[in-house]
Amino acid sequence: MAQFIEKAGPWLRRRAENVIAGLFAVMFAAFLIQIVFRYVFNFPIGWTSELTIVCWIWLVLWGAAFVVTERDEIRFDLIYAAVGDRTRRIMAIVTGVSLIGLYLISLPAVVDYVTFMKVEKTAYMKIRFDHLYSIYVVFVVAVLARYIWLVVAVLRGKAPAAFDPTQASSGV
Amino acid sequence: MSAAFTWCIAAILTLSLLGLPIGHAMIGGSILYLLLAGLDMSTAAEQLLNGLYTGFVLLAIPLFILAAEFMNAGAITGRLLRFCDAIVGRFRGGLAHVNVVQSIIFAGMSGSAIADAAGSGKLMQTMMTQNGRYPPAFAAALTAVTSVIGPIIPPSIPIVIYALVSDTSIGYLFLGGVLPGVLIGLAQMALIAAVARRRGFPVEKPTPLRALPKITLDALPALLMPVVLLGGMYSGVFTPTEAAAIAAAYALAVSTLLYRNMGWGDIYRSLLASARTTASIGMLIAGALAFNYVVTIENIPKALSLYLQAIQFTPFLFLIAVNILLLILGCLLEGTTILLIVVPVLIPTAEALGVDMVHFGIVVVVNIMLGLVTPPYGLLLFVMTNISGVSLSALVREVLPFLWVMIGALVAITFIPDLVLFLPKLMGYRGVS
Repeated sequence: MAQFIEKAGPWLRRRAENVIAGLFAVMFAAFLIQIVFRYVFNFPIGWTSELTIVCWIWLVLWGAAFVVTERDEIRFDLIYAAVGDRTRRIMAIVTGVSLIGLYLISLPAVVDYVTFMKVEKTAYMKIRFDHLYSIYVVFVVAVLARYIWLVVAVLRGKAPAAFDPTQASSGV
Repeated sequence: MSAAFTWCIAAILTLSLLGLPIGHAMIGGSILYLLLAGLDMSTAAEQLLNGLYTGFVLLAIPLFILAAEFMNAGAITGRLLRFCDAIVGRFRGGLAHVNVVQSIIFAGMSGSAIADAAGSGKLMQTMMTQNGRYPPAFAAALTAVTSVIGPIIPPSIPIVIYALVSDTSIGYLFLGGVLPGVLIGLAQMALIAAVARRRGFPVEKPTPLRALPKITLDALPALLMPVVLLGGMYSGVFTPTEAAAIAAAYALAVSTLLYRNMGWGDIYRSLLASARTTASIGMLIAGALAFNYVVTIENIPKALSLYLQAIQFTPFLFLIAVNILLLILGCLLEGTTILLIVVPVLIPTAEALGVDMVHFGIVVVVNIMLGLVTPPYGLLLFVMTNISGVSLSALVREVLPFLWVMIGALVAITFIPDLVLFLPKLMGYRGVS
């Protein structure tokens, strides 16, 4: 099982990357279409701005769930980088377990909220909000799975991944 | 302040200090708050999702990131550098001046200091250290400090984030950044001129005037970009968010159609790199959206504002305190985190004291940019040690003189509001005072 995941992992990651690159391309294209229609044809259209927003939400949460790695997440690493391996493992377990606990407790309420949103639809494209927001449930489940995996790996004696602040650009 | 809120803050601080990604720490802390306060635990998700859904202005961020990726992947950067060299290379310390001037021009197209350092900064580092012209540590330090100008002169990702949290016009904020950005550049050039002779910096071979038209023509598409962007925004033709899309489209068109050195593979890599950065900054924004809801229902900004008014804090003292606070935080924290968490708490006080929101925004952004070059946590320092292979301590030693000069500029920007407000007022901005 573990071996299968090790092998399938990189392949799946590349597919996940295809998805966010694609979402970004659609978002960019929709923006350009909107500008062309508004200024060149003098004919404002609404669905493009809605599409850009939809892509943006999915891009952020899909990316955070499947593409952004431990290495490029934005964090405070002055202490994390300075301590020894043993301490860093304890830190990783404490934060991992806390995060799993908090996300798990809130999960039923989150699922409730997202399914409740089926009563509303977006203005132009008539996308049901429960479909649109379902990416958040996917995100929470993916984060839970990843952190359970991480905590188990650390408990088994694997050192947590180092962090590279230059990879974690937040766009400033 | 309720007990639930105290626990929430304690949890966020502890989890972040122990190394949990800050976005997750804020979402986790907000969930803990909702749990302890007996509120519906889906509220964190609700705030976060609705905040992302209605945050149309946020879309400028990924598009500016994409524009910078396209410019760095194409050959726009190289041509700009040749143009700058033709103009200021002939002075003593020529390449050092080139570094500043290219940063100012580049700032008119790019909204991210890190992208500037990784793109044009990398080229500058190679040019400056070729044949031992400049000490590598000086070159790296200079590249780090000139990159700071990028997000102060529009377009600017930090300014977009400030506009979001403060509800201020992006257009006026962008205009407000122009003079302060140029001022910081001039301050850096003055320092270079002052040390150039003593340190024996070389002079570049002057470009003959005959060659100038050709070099200018070559760089023209790149030079036109700030004109198109700012002109379009201020004539009201398009919004800042649309300007971001146009910037990206323009950079793509110039690289693929005109310079013809960008293929499908490059486009895909640029899209993916931008998407990755967007996801990690989006995660931070998502966490802040959840956490800021908690801060708002606890009425923290209002309480702070009332307290500071009660002890008769003047705007003058307030601005000094903000500068000191942000410079210290900038040594420890990442800039976007400060903008999203600390600044919203300060804004109501600034408003109540009658500080102009555009002026305040630029002061805040300059502070945050200086935070990128202050140790121990300065992202630009990390980027430049990676690029140049210089040690962090050698780099910091060379950065310090520049830091003092820039703090001098910051003091001027803080206490002469017209340095910021002159251009916005010229374009019809009516400040609070």
